Amino acid sequence: MRRIYRMLPGPTPVRVATSIVLVSIVLIALHFFYEWVGSNFLDTGGTVG
Amino acid sequence: MTRLAENTDTGDRAETDASQALPPPTLSYKIVRGLGWTLVWLGGLTLGFVAHQLWITTFFAKANQAELEVALEERFAAAEIVEVEYVPVVVPGQDPPDERDPSISGGASGSVGLLKTESAPEDGSPFAEIRIPSIESLAEGWTVVEGVRLSQLKNGAGHMPWTPLPGQPGNAVISGHRTTYGQPFHDLDHLTAGDTIEVETAIGTHVYAVTEVFVVRPTDVWVTHPKSGAWLTLTTCNPKFSARERLIVHAQMVAGPNAEVILGRA
Repeated sequence: MRRIYRMLPGPTPVRVATSIVLVSIVLIALHFFYEWVGSNFLDTGGTVG
Repeated sequence: MTRLAENTDTGDRAETDASQALPPPTLSYKIVRGLGWTLVWLGGLTLGFVAHQLWITTFFAKANQAELEVALEERFAAAEIVEVEYVPVVVPGQDPPDERDPSISGGASGSVGLLKTESAPEDGSPFAEIRIPSIESLAEGWTVVEGVRLSQLKNGAGHMPWTPLPGQPGNAVISGHRTTYGQPFHDLDHLTAGDTIEVETAIGTHVYAVTEVFVVRPTDVWVTHPKSGAWLTLTTCNPKFSARERLIVHAQMVAGPNAEVILGRA
């Protein structure tokens, strides 16, 4: 994580802002991935057919 | 390693000096370190998945429920209720409802009374509230939406659109999540024969009595097939935290605005 942060371009405020955007994108992607996995394998909602 | 430990409290420079003094990492060291970090990340992702399924989906489902309750009140106020002639249909291979008096005849038209019906709900919209007094999580009620697509079931429970609405003759089917999205059907396995299930629609509150609780395969669509009389079928995943099977609850209407007509007590 620290290495990725150091690789970001620009001064510290730009790096922090970029980090927040990147982390948000990752969390949103994870949310949809978890939703997909959960709805298809863990608890489909109980429908039949 | 000893030098590194001794110098950790003296700042970055000391740490850098220490690491420079260490021999270059071997291939096996790199592999073990990579494997270790991979396991750490996989563990974190798994924990995140568990937390997401248990709490985050429930957070969103309950937030949706608050909005759906408002929309449901609007539907109750605006739904068009019409009375239609009820002609009982006996499904082949099934007896008519046990409580129907065999002497009742519908006359030339076959009608045995007037049945209250409500306008069909829009896809995805709330139209009913299910309450099960013997299950704590459902004693207060849970709003049911029309449809059982994954996006609609994110609200917790949905009605299969190709089955009759609750309160109508036939077999009304409601599916719901058991362990995620507010887990409305979490304790459905606690139901026993005779327990009551209440479903409130624009017409009124329909009361069903549980007749059987059993487990089937996910492909056993026969549990949703039409039945003589008025029935409610609840379906959910089984066992908990698995979609391997389905837990089915069959319940028969015993009271409500249409009960007398459907059950032949009119």
